[in-house]
Amino acid sequence: MPDSLPVNPLVNGVSAQPVRFRGGGFTVKRHPWAALAAFAALLAVWEGASRLGLASPLFLPPPSAVGRALAGMVTDGSLWLNLKASLGRIAVGWVLGTLGGMLVGFAMGIFSTARAVGVPLVSAFFPIPKIALLPLFILWFGIGEPSKFATIGFGVFFPTVIATCSAIDSVPRNLIRMAQSFGLPWRSILRSIVLPGALPGILAGFRITASIALILVVAAEMIGAEYGIGAFVLMAGNLMQTDTLLAGVLVLSLMGLAIGTVLSLLERRLLNWR
Amino acid sequence: MRLLVSDLTHRYDDLTVLDGIDLALAEGEILAVIGPSGCGKSTLLGIAGGIVAPTAGSIRVEGEVPDGCLNPITFIFQDFALLPWRTVEDNVALVLEHHPLPAAERRERIEAGLRGMGLWEFRKALPKQLSGGMRQRVGIARALAVRPAMLLLDEPLSALDAQTRELLMDDFLELWRREKTTALYVTHNLDEALRLADRVCVLSRRPGRIREMVTIEEPRERRQEPSAQAHLAAVRERLWHLMKAEAQMADREIARA
Amino acid sequence: MTLARLTRRVLIATAGTALAAGTLMSVGMSAAQAQAPAQPLEKATVGVLALSSSGPIFIAKAKGYFEKEGLDVDLKMFTSAQQVPVAVTSGDADFGVTGLTAGFYNLASKGAVTIIAAQSRDEPGFPLSGYVATKAAYEAGLTKPADLKGKRIAITTVGSTFHYMIGILGQKYGFTVKDVTMVPLQDVPKMVAAFKGGQVDAILAPSTVSRQLAADGAGTIIGWAGDETPWQLGALFTAPKTIKDRRPLVEKFIRAYKTALAEYHAAFNGKDASGALVKGPGYDELLTIIADATKQKPEIVAGGLPYVDPQARLLVDDVVNQVKFWQSEGQVDKTLDPKSVMDLSFIGQ
Repeated sequence: MPDSLPVNPLVNGVSAQPVRFRGGGFTVKRHPWAALAAFAALLAVWEGASRLGLASPLFLPPPSAVGRALAGMVTDGSLWLNLKASLGRIAVGWVLGTLGGMLVGFAMGIFSTARAVGVPLVSAFFPIPKIALLPLFILWFGIGEPSKFATIGFGVFFPTVIATCSAIDSVPRNLIRMAQSFGLPWRSILRSIVLPGALPGILAGFRITASIALILVVAAEMIGAEYGIGAFVLMAGNLMQTDTLLAGVLVLSLMGLAIGTVLSLLERRLLNWR
Repeated sequence: MRLLVSDLTHRYDDLTVLDGIDLALAEGEILAVIGPSGCGKSTLLGIAGGIVAPTAGSIRVEGEVPDGCLNPITFIFQDFALLPWRTVEDNVALVLEHHPLPAAERRERIEAGLRGMGLWEFRKALPKQLSGGMRQRVGIARALAVRPAMLLLDEPLSALDAQTRELLMDDFLELWRREKTTALYVTHNLDEALRLADRVCVLSRRPGRIREMVTIEEPRERRQEPSAQAHLAAVRERLWHLMKAEAQMADREIARA
Repeated sequence: MTLARLTRRVLIATAGTALAAGTLMSVGMSAAQAQAPAQPLEKATVGVLALSSSGPIFIAKAKGYFEKEGLDVDLKMFTSAQQVPVAVTSGDADFGVTGLTAGFYNLASKGAVTIIAAQSRDEPGFPLSGYVATKAAYEAGLTKPADLKGKRIAITTVGSTFHYMIGILGQKYGFTVKDVTMVPLQDVPKMVAAFKGGQVDAILAPSTVSRQLAADGAGTIIGWAGDETPWQLGALFTAPKTIKDRRPLVEKFIRAYKTALAEYHAAFNGKDASGALVKGPGYDELLTIIADATKQKPEIVAGGLPYVDPQARLLVDDVVNQVKFWQSEGQVDKTLDPKSVMDLSFIGQ
């Protein structure tokens, strides 16, 4: 080593310096209050814009007007009446569509013949907008509750089939091989391996189908519904009562939030092994 | 239990992976199968265990099965194949569920398996809470719960780190000292073969044929002793020489393909 | 708007062609403009539905009555009655002509729109909306509109013109909307599906739909709303701000509108001594204009031409009744003064 090069300072200890920290950043930190604060700020700006006359209450009803409309729904009991009607329809329609979808999805996931028949059929029928079929549903199921169940049920059915079928595909084959190598009978493999192994995929499907059910309840209540959040929103729209409309939409999104929370709890309970 | 493989050939579509394999495993013998990747080691094991149907040839077993044997030919897997949603004890219980056993015996088998592998205090744990070595111990406990006559081990230590591998090899040695179970041990690791096997079968590159059958003269119990090292080094040298040539050619074939 | 739902499908199907027609019209306009002296025309837009009830507007445009007043009027086509007052509220259109719904009065109560002249009326002898009974209901005794009390009737939506028509039918025969089950089905295809499926006893539907159902043998027309309960079906309206800031524009627009209205009335609304409709002067020419603008066959248009007042006079009492009806139904703000929704100074009423 030539003498002209500087002597390593660490060796002779003359000017040892601390190593500069250069990690940091690019990590996710939790800010639990930030979302709440942003939400509150948004509401404040919105309300303020209305109060100052910057936004017409017709075009953008202020949160206070939406709140008043909501309070009105609570006091005259219509909220509960509408909520009950819609939740009933969602529950029945969703359960029917989910049961049917899981049955077909399992068949398609397990039997290759069922899959060969099912995949093109599902591909053909899934993208049909259910709203376009409403007149047909009226002819088939009438304008009572059955046609509303059918609208939601059909909407839920196809995504459930797809979710279930691919959930079964995602069950690790090595576990099935293992079970076979221990001589487990077919039914046991289905019950002990395939079913629990497909559960995460099926639950993920529930999240999607629950939102679909919520969207379709509005469509379903286009069919001569007297009560229901969807019917309520449609009516408010027809009557140009924008504050009531937003109150209904708020109830819908709160329903979505509630269903999402329930599903999260369910996932945490059932999938604690992940 | 003895295993007889005769003129075994297996093809996946146009690809021949095993070609004319003849093998005989004696009662209580441990045969290691080594060979380059893709030579059909795992396929051979799958065929031996009856979960892969061979294209041609036959595979037979003979001899007594031990008392209370529920699954004569039992696998131990490289990836452990544990159900992640079941606790340790329930993973072991799985392979007994379809057998009509008295509740007491069922409990006894599970407990014996878990205690034998030092897992008793972890019986309520989920697989995700265990280290790799502990998970494979669950796999072994599960295999022991059915009191197998023959073990088929498919690279059981390949997913583990070196230290854990050492510890589990000791476990295997202890197991074979106790149970004398016939075993077919597939590995690509020479040390495992040299520590555990009575004989080592070297497979050629694809299509897999038996290149050489090497017998390790030193008894298993004495292989750690200094006097055994010269013989083991010679065997290792020979095995490595055989493996190296096959592996190199296999690599070139893969590069050309 | 009575006919709004009927033609929605047709409209969607022919939206492209309608657009093309609009372009052609404007081309014609610019040619006319080129000949006129170099005085710039004042721009204005009017929101309409492609229905024969908008006929006077189509006539005023096609025959150049707006230009004579110095206006370059652009027609904006909408597919439902609801969208037109919304477009006027948002400033997308200066004027609008459509049927009067609860939604319209809610916009009026917020000071967004004001009625300035009449559009069409339901009048005796002008079949616009039919009460149709299903075969089964007819055989069971539903043979006249008064029998509708206690029955299930399919309508489009709550707050629609159909809803009001049932209301005034009840006022005439002594029942309220509570005495019937109104089944809101959003649009005509669903109404027809429910009717054909026997899910309702009757339907209140536009004339073409009513006649189609009768022709199919699915039901029997038991009456027409015009014969039973004449009322102010639609109106010409604008934003209060336009009246305040651009009064001369409104005056010019109304003058042109009234010219076309009178011509329309003379051609289509005349009756002979027996009460049958007779063709007036310019019948074929005006029918062709309307048929072109609505993209329908002339014979279809001829079967459903509504009555208009030649002076654009409004049935003020009926408009007041409408507001009160919606208020009693809880669908329009109770504090709305019915008189405040109209400014009839332009038509001198």
